[in-house]
Amino acid sequence: MKKYVGPLITMLAVSTASATAAAQDINISFRFNDPESQEMRAALDQFEAENPGVKVELQTIAWGESRAQFLREAAVGEGPDVVHIAFVWPRDMGAAGALLPLNDFLDNQPIQNGFDDFIATELAVGADGNIYGVPWTTDTWAMVYRTDLLEQAGVTEIPGTWDALRDASRKIHEETGKVGFGFPAGSASSNTLWFLANYYWWSNGPALVVESDGGGFETGITVDQIVEAMQYYHSYLQEGHNPEAMLGVNSWFDPSILEGLTNGEQAIGIMPPQQFKQILASFEERNPGVEPPFVTATTPGGPEGPKTHLGGRMLGINSNTEHPEIAWKLVEFMTRQEVLVEYYGNQFPAQKTPLQSIEFGPALGGFAEQLTLARSWGAYSDGPAQIGSMWDDTGRAFGSAFIGEKSYEEAATELLQSVEDQLK
Amino acid sequence: MGERMFVPLMLAPIFFFLIFFYGYPTLFNFYNSLTDLSLLGLKQGGAFIGLRNYVELLSSKDFYRVLWNTLFWLTAVSVALRIVLGLLLALLLNSATLRHYRLTTASRLVLLVPWATPPIVAVVVWRWLLDGRQGVINKALEGLGLIDTPIAFLANVDTIWPALITIIAWNTLPLVTLTFLAGLQSVPPELHEAAEMDGANAINRFFHVTLPHLMPTVVVMTLLLIFWTFNNFVYIWLATGAGPGLFTNVLATEIYIKGFIDFELGFSSAVGMVMAAMMAVFGILYFRFVALREFREIL
Repeated sequence: MKKYVGPLITMLAVSTASATAAAQDINISFRFNDPESQEMRAALDQFEAENPGVKVELQTIAWGESRAQFLREAAVGEGPDVVHIAFVWPRDMGAAGALLPLNDFLDNQPIQNGFDDFIATELAVGADGNIYGVPWTTDTWAMVYRTDLLEQAGVTEIPGTWDALRDASRKIHEETGKVGFGFPAGSASSNTLWFLANYYWWSNGPALVVESDGGGFETGITVDQIVEAMQYYHSYLQEGHNPEAMLGVNSWFDPSILEGLTNGEQAIGIMPPQQFKQILASFEERNPGVEPPFVTATTPGGPEGPKTHLGGRMLGINSNTEHPEIAWKLVEFMTRQEVLVEYYGNQFPAQKTPLQSIEFGPALGGFAEQLTLARSWGAYSDGPAQIGSMWDDTGRAFGSAFIGEKSYEEAATELLQSVEDQLK
Repeated sequence: MGERMFVPLMLAPIFFFLIFFYGYPTLFNFYNSLTDLSLLGLKQGGAFIGLRNYVELLSSKDFYRVLWNTLFWLTAVSVALRIVLGLLLALLLNSATLRHYRLTTASRLVLLVPWATPPIVAVVVWRWLLDGRQGVINKALEGLGLIDTPIAFLANVDTIWPALITIIAWNTLPLVTLTFLAGLQSVPPELHEAAEMDGANAINRFFHVTLPHLMPTVVVMTLLLIFWTFNNFVYIWLATGAGPGLFTNVLATEIYIKGFIDFELGFSSAVGMVMAAMMAVFGILYFRFVALREFREIL
């Protein structure tokens, strides 16, 4: 019997020590919505190494589901400690009580080069004046052209206006049989037509939501101006240089677009930089040693010049977290320039100082230039209307007009009415 | 304790669960439908607004379009198609011809493949097959010279509902077929032999022997398919997202759009209650034609 006592005591001691160590571990969770989950896991491993006793669980979810999912969880005291959110979400999530105000952390534990060095910080401020998010990455959409197809079609200049873009798209289709400007025209609660419609409106002057003289918010567009944008994008589908199948495509990252640009079936696209980097990587993998036949450029412009939105992601802390200090440490870690460069290199940092030091290179030149022309959502996100609801309404209205379910005027009137109702 | 008391007593636990997990949520949902509850205001709750959500819903012309899509396309057409195809396939699988060529086991195994495929996988695969730019079906049709230009099956208003119903039928037909097959195998062979001796041909035997024997199974299967299909969200949402526009919007996707995109949980709850009321009609039919008879047999 005695011979078993020693090993038994040792085993008990080891298991007690392990249990104590486990009990001392602080476990938090981080929910991430982009495809780079492997890289993000590596970043979290580094964070854990820097903070012994802290374990971070990585959760992943698609962007399309993340907002509603987090709101549901936060309302019942659940959800991840640190959450990946879009630029325009902190205000609503703060008002819903889902996010923790970060003012105390920002006052007492300055982050990177200071909060003022971050861009789009006004979007992080809630209606109550508290700060609910830290901008993490930024981007905007720019045009991508296949130079070989432009050349084959005899298109010698990068289109500078919306009409020139349509002419080029048509010509490419006529001369090469390929897809011209292939944009996702699906209307299933995605932001595809929403972005395209706003780029068209903004560059021509109007905006769906503007601040009113009285300090409130109102629509800044007419039914005719909405109809004009509908007819413009519909003409690509009617003329066939953007195939009818694109009516069923609801994602900027749809494989048919990525594949079409990579294999040369499509000549023109519009996308964020990370998607373009994917296309470049695929092309280089398939065609080693061949110079990629792509050029990036700003979007076409109207009287107001090329206009896109300043997009990006923020990090927020769940109001239900039991470890706000550790969660803040993770936010600080994730916003470091070296972490972003090493683990999230497809994105641009949402901080002025590191942004200035980025070498965009010729391939990404269009994105660099477009970033200087991009505008914030401004009144869209400051007002009472939900951006998600407006983008769904816009997509549905355009989709209904495209398939003839409703007339342009009927669809545009309903869209305008819906936004006006939401702004009341 | 008499047998008449024993059965209800044994059923009591299940009724407790039904009340707790179905009764209470239904009442809670009904209460929410009378409020302006928003997803952004879950912690605060909604304000009572009476029947305003119901008035808005029932006075919206889009609602009747959604209702038509749900009742006609999603439910009536797809259920009828599966019942007819399921019966035909079951007859084929039960036929002497397949047995003669020793194909019975192989064909039943092949039939199980779609049933074993999760709906999400089925939709993703079919989206690729039907894709208007890279889809295999378009490539095949073009290769065979049947079409000149690809068809955008899931974007063209003429093909979108047939394409959706194809996906639903492909994924769920095996259950219908196997259920009917089990029913067919329970038909006493003597009945067929007697009918044959009386001079009945194959068609007569089907209508006067097989079908009457199978009718209870057909009724149960039809009602179950109606329940499963009328409520279904996955196929439509994953395949078309209720678009283009709202062309394929059904009640289940309307609930999701209102609740989790527009954040109007109160309104979404009202849609849910209307949907539940319609399902109750089918529930009563099921109770009348199936459950009541079974209860009587037990009691």
